[in-house]
Amino acid sequence: MNARAVAAWSAACLVIVLSTTNPAYKALVLVAALAALATGVGIRRIRGPLFAVLLVAAFASLVNFVSAHLGSTVLFELPERIPAIGGPYTLEALAFGASGGITIAAAILSAAPFSLLLASHEVMDALPPALSRTGVAIAASLNLVPAVATSFVQVTEAQRLRGWRPRGPRSWMEVVVPVVLSSVEGSIQLAESMEARGFGSGPRTAVESTSLQRSDWMLVAASGLALMAFAVSHAAGWAADWFPYPMVSLPAMDPRPMAACVLLFAPVLVWRSRH
Amino acid sequence: MAIATLTHLTYWYPGASTPALNDACLATEDGLTVVAGPSGSGKSTLLRVFNGLVPHFHGGRFAGRADVMGMSVSETPTRKLARTVGFVFQDPELQTVYNAVDREVAFGLENIGLPRREIAGRVDEALHAAGVERLAGRAVRTLSGGERQRVALASALAMRPRLVVLDEPTSQLDPGGAEIVLEATMRIVDDGRSVIVSEHRLDQLLHSATRLVLVEGGIVRTADPASWRPPAASHRLPRASAPGGEAWSLERVSAGFDRYLVLDGIDLAGRSGEVVALSGPNGGGKTTLLRLIAGSLAPLAGKVLRRPGRVAYLPQNPTALLHRPTVRAEVCLTLDRARDPEPPEAILTQLGLQSVADHYPRDLSCGEQQRAALAAVLPGTPSLVLLDEPTRGIDASARSALATLVGRLRDRGAAVVLATHDTDLRSAVADRVLEVRNGKVTEMQLEVTRV
Repeated sequence: MNARAVAAWSAACLVIVLSTTNPAYKALVLVAALAALATGVGIRRIRGPLFAVLLVAAFASLVNFVSAHLGSTVLFELPERIPAIGGPYTLEALAFGASGGITIAAAILSAAPFSLLLASHEVMDALPPALSRTGVAIAASLNLVPAVATSFVQVTEAQRLRGWRPRGPRSWMEVVVPVVLSSVEGSIQLAESMEARGFGSGPRTAVESTSLQRSDWMLVAASGLALMAFAVSHAAGWAADWFPYPMVSLPAMDPRPMAACVLLFAPVLVWRSRH
Repeated sequence: MAIATLTHLTYWYPGASTPALNDACLATEDGLTVVAGPSGSGKSTLLRVFNGLVPHFHGGRFAGRADVMGMSVSETPTRKLARTVGFVFQDPELQTVYNAVDREVAFGLENIGLPRREIAGRVDEALHAAGVERLAGRAVRTLSGGERQRVALASALAMRPRLVVLDEPTSQLDPGGAEIVLEATMRIVDDGRSVIVSEHRLDQLLHSATRLVLVEGGIVRTADPASWRPPAASHRLPRASAPGGEAWSLERVSAGFDRYLVLDGIDLAGRSGEVVALSGPNGGGKTTLLRLIAGSLAPLAGKVLRRPGRVAYLPQNPTALLHRPTVRAEVCLTLDRARDPEPPEAILTQLGLQSVADHYPRDLSCGEQQRAALAAVLPGTPSLVLLDEPTRGIDASARSALATLVGRLRDRGAAVVLATHDTDLRSAVADRVLEVRNGKVTEMQLEVTRV
């Protein structure tokens, strides 16, 4: 699996998801991203990230439903005197929020193969030489993320046993301060270690990523074709936009842009499980 | 041949009024140089001079002169010295850039722009020199602490340095892990490289050392490694009374994470006024057992019982506790919460922290931070004391003070459980030693004690 091929596929997914307002095509890309991850990572390993993504998407949908009191199909009403949440709750706001949630989920899952499927050095190797040093610094800092999560658990436990109890936002300072400081100290230690190994001493050796295999070329071709076909569909008006206000309607679906989205399922055919 | 020379070197960290190194004069030769001294004495600072991290990375004021392999440290940046001086840090987890062993070892070679065709050969050579050829291709996150530290050593050796500097490379490791790192260190010396190592486990190194450097309060002096003896181990502490009733117990307890069973059907109990020591390899389940007893981890099966009262828990990472502006404030926080009238000075004195009582705890050395964390959890009269690797990074005198403090808590009726690799501490205070390994707990023979 080549990081550049993965990047081509991710880019195609992202461009399609972000360029259309039609939730049918967005949903198709979302399903393609899910299928690709299930193939490369395995259903069991994506359950956690998937739950987090769905939570974020659900929250985004809910925010629109609660805050946008527009549309003609009123589901229920809260008294106007209730600040912020009072007013009519409409099917249109719910549909628009759901469409936003699908966009967020599809975008995150399209980029997820970089963290779930590829090792940091595979991503770094795929960068052009000019970005190599920055890329290494970012990869190194990402290595600290699990340490920060562990630190949060350790600090919370230690402070609880020392008598700390969560009582309002200020009380969390006793947890947040040690976690943040430990993260900063960890970063400094890592920077010290990188410096001691000659980081920044001059041009780095450009360790090329493995060359594109046949399956990688197939993925690049499918992604490019999907992107082109969707762009043409959009320009020709086949990939119709969708707007739920003032009255919600089903999004229009055309076989040509749908076929473009189906090409994004290519990883299901060319990827093998890496775990 | 002189590898490194310090000439009247004095160094102040940024904002410090007293120097961390004071008028140091030193000439190290080929072979093995061992650096010893109490925690917070300036050992790590001295080691960082040899590859220029002091002053280039840390800043501060630098007076006098330091030369390494004929290069002036103050005029040569660390990244250039990196081609001549390899450096291995204390914590194996915080010096890893990549997650693949081969790439991690190649990181320095990529940085110095070594041609791609040469990198693979140099990586193989370094892995062999560190004795970890079998780890090639492994993911770093799957390695034990000892293996990780040897990969760090291989990463330093890949640069073919003339001098290798190791800063307490075994302080975070269990005896097995420490042994393999020290063996690898000796192999580097045998290969003809110069090594400067700061270490608390001195027995194995001293008989091979060509030079011993002692650092105390920033003062650097040399001693004869053949005649110098490390401070004596703690003595067995007599107990004031026999252990009392049951203070905690585990009945058929199993615990684990992500379907991985760490402890399996454990039956165990401890009494008040009793000190139980847990030993066993890193990852064996000692911390899990402490967390179960503390009540911060729920068992998957079985029952955990605790006598009511205050729990004093020292986590493996002392910085998880430290967040107040001074060491004294850390102690006062615990005493206030426990509504204990004991003055903070009592524990600060017992742990030798008076001189740093008004310092910001996170600015202290590793050993001092460990003592500050102990002071933060142990004041007053806790009824259950749980300490996870309490002697990590602390010197012999601090270990002795800790043993005395634990003995005092025990005599006041506290039930104490220590997870520790430190045989001196165990033999000084433990009533029972339990080995935690492969999910099981077995009673061990108490080590031979010195009275």
